[in-house]
Amino acid sequence: MLPLAGVRVVDLTWIIAGPTATRFLADFGASVYKIEHEQAVDPIRLGRPLAGERPTLNNSGFFNYMNRNKRSVLLNARHPRGMELLRRLIAVSDVVIENFSAGTLASWGLDYAGLRALREDIVYCSISGFGHTGRDREHTTWGPTAQALSGLTFTSGLPGKPPAGWGYSFMDHTAGYSAAIAILAALWHRARTGEGQHLDLSQVEAGAVLNGPAVLDRTVNGRSWRRAGMPPGNRAWEPAVAPHNTYPCAGEDRWIAIAVMSDAEWEALARVMGEPQWARGERFATNAARLANEDALDERIAAWTAPRGDYALMAELQAAGVRAAVCQKPGDRVEHDPQLAARGWWRTLPHAELGDARHDGVAPRLSDTPGELRAGAPLIGADTRAVLSETLGLDEAELDECEAAGVFM
Amino acid sequence: MSGPLAGLRVVELCDELGQYAGKLLADMGADAVKLEPPEGSAARRVGPFVDDEPGPNRSLSFWYHNANKRSVALDLEGSEADRERARALIARADVFLEAGPPGRAAALGLEREALAAANPRLVHCALTPFGQDGPWAHYAVSDLVALAAGGPMCMNGYDAADAPGAPPIHGKGDQAYNTAAHYAVMGILTALFAREATGAGQFIDCAMHEALSSTTEVGLPHWLYAGRNVIRQTGRHAALFRTEPWIHRARDGLDALVYNVGRDNESWGRLKAWMQSRGFGANFDEARFDDPVARQGGRGGAEAGEIMAEVARFVAAHDAEEVYRGAQACGLPWGVVRAPDETLDDAHLHDRGHFVPVTGEGLEGSALMPGAPCVFGATPWELRRPAPKPGEHTEEVLAEW
Repeated sequence: MLPLAGVRVVDLTWIIAGPTATRFLADFGASVYKIEHEQAVDPIRLGRPLAGERPTLNNSGFFNYMNRNKRSVLLNARHPRGMELLRRLIAVSDVVIENFSAGTLASWGLDYAGLRALREDIVYCSISGFGHTGRDREHTTWGPTAQALSGLTFTSGLPGKPPAGWGYSFMDHTAGYSAAIAILAALWHRARTGEGQHLDLSQVEAGAVLNGPAVLDRTVNGRSWRRAGMPPGNRAWEPAVAPHNTYPCAGEDRWIAIAVMSDAEWEALARVMGEPQWARGERFATNAARLANEDALDERIAAWTAPRGDYALMAELQAAGVRAAVCQKPGDRVEHDPQLAARGWWRTLPHAELGDARHDGVAPRLSDTPGELRAGAPLIGADTRAVLSETLGLDEAELDECEAAGVFM
Repeated sequence: MSGPLAGLRVVELCDELGQYAGKLLADMGADAVKLEPPEGSAARRVGPFVDDEPGPNRSLSFWYHNANKRSVALDLEGSEADRERARALIARADVFLEAGPPGRAAALGLEREALAAANPRLVHCALTPFGQDGPWAHYAVSDLVALAAGGPMCMNGYDAADAPGAPPIHGKGDQAYNTAAHYAVMGILTALFAREATGAGQFIDCAMHEALSSTTEVGLPHWLYAGRNVIRQTGRHAALFRTEPWIHRARDGLDALVYNVGRDNESWGRLKAWMQSRGFGANFDEARFDDPVARQGGRGGAEAGEIMAEVARFVAAHDAEEVYRGAQACGLPWGVVRAPDETLDDAHLHDRGHFVPVTGEGLEGSALMPGAPCVFGATPWELRRPAPKPGEHTEEVLAEW
């Protein structure tokens, strides 16, 4: 049996942050009901990559990736019977999760008090940019906004250059993980005490907690990260060690990351390099010396790596005890990564419009009750009748009536 | 104790990798005990330090990641009696969280099978770089190396115009370790639910590599479903084709995040009015700017380029904070690129009590650090104790548990 079997989640989320949280819950067996409305679909349903040229609502690979194992329920909340069914579904569920702007759900009468009136011990998780309290609660974010305001974007870049940032919505993933953790912890508390609660997750705060030591460096030492030489690119911040960088390899845009954390690891690297004369001198004998001469050090290592093949070099360095890895692109991970392949990470699930569609596996791996890939992402509205019948006991006549009245759209 | 996990007993054997998972559990109320060698965890040697003076109790990184935990010092390498003490603690725990290469805990006398036999209800989470098995299982990593292998790094970097030939870039703050920790905690809590149903604990093989490989957003779907790699771009999403820049330098030298311009008519109308009130975008009233498709970078024609050029001029003439707040008032999700410590200057975060005061060696009074990643209504986040000294609670915990 899956560990979260029996947990019912009314999923009002869309795009990435919320669906990341419910993807994890669904992988481990929660019944996740994705409530959808054809007039305001999850934009990811239209998101590339698509099978074919034009979006059909059901042919997005990105949507399939984010929403496997979930069920889709079409419910028009602007129709009185649609709202009534949503409220009844909440009343028989354990979790409500949404990532609207602060105040949206309240405008439907479904703030925490409203939800509690339907189900006393509900666990309500709201994911918003800034949280539901505080002076800026009405500001809106997408992942990049949260990354910029929380300090994450700033930490990623070469000194003297504009911020490189994360290149994707890292904080959508991370807000989703934080929400999943909060929901599981709240369900644990509820199982012990019978008490539900509101989990007010701010994407900016979920990002701000990821750089605690940098904040303490200012509050204790008075030192800001905004200073010359920061951010330090791929060189180390703390602990300060060298060499610690990315180096070019043979081929176009191929890179290897090497991190030497001790003198013993430096000696191991020097052995792999064939003990060149330059590596033996005092300039590079200690970590302090290597840091002081980091430009020269990186230049020489780069000259050594540049003609070499990345995966072979990674294997050679690792065999010698040097921390090193190819900077893997998505295609590298899927087609070449021997570790992911050996662990059976890539899976296939059939999908009506995408065919045999590939997915990543379920992490982490639980020995006795592992997560499962049961079904690809649902076609829009595919489960409306089944879910309302299973959860609320609606019969065929009632379902037909709702359908005719435009409740399922 | 008031957190949602109050009453849950956790034994943690982690250094830089894994300590954030222990922190998340401890911060939610678990009784988390950190096993350390007598000289203290290696994580105590990671800076920055109070007044830049290293010392086992002066690492700010250690403070942050280990507040709310208790420390039990045991010589697992050298003392069979201490190994027995560790086994006795784990026998009374709900969760054993260990991190490092596979087999590290077993080599210290903490074998998986023996622990499970002594405590069948134990949830044993082993956080490793690459997992328990496979050709890379014993490969060593740092945060940089893990982010490189796992994929996030290849999503971010530079346009050639900004930094020709630049490599993928390593975002700082041990985010590989943090992501792995999130997966460890999700797995631990899930396994606790399984235990509710079956009465049995289990083993969790939590690979940082797999956690990271599921944390690269649209990069993976573009390969899985279309066989294409995205390209890195300065300060914005990696994509199949170059898109318009999102980050622009403001008058005060700070960077503003400027995107989603013109997607909908409502925010466009407000942005236009705001810019025109400051003497910018005089020609935006021309009918050719009325079509949302024409206004969007990468989709439309000349209009999108014209708009972004004018927006960049507008940003350059204003302070970044003013750009951020003004755009938010227009309904646009713009922001300011803040250094991590500049979150301290954001009044909104103080409104929400985001920062909490912590104490420690060498510090007079207290200093603020970030608190809760999520505000729990009924079981609030709480800083109950500062990070422990090595072995500070050895006697106390051995007697209590």
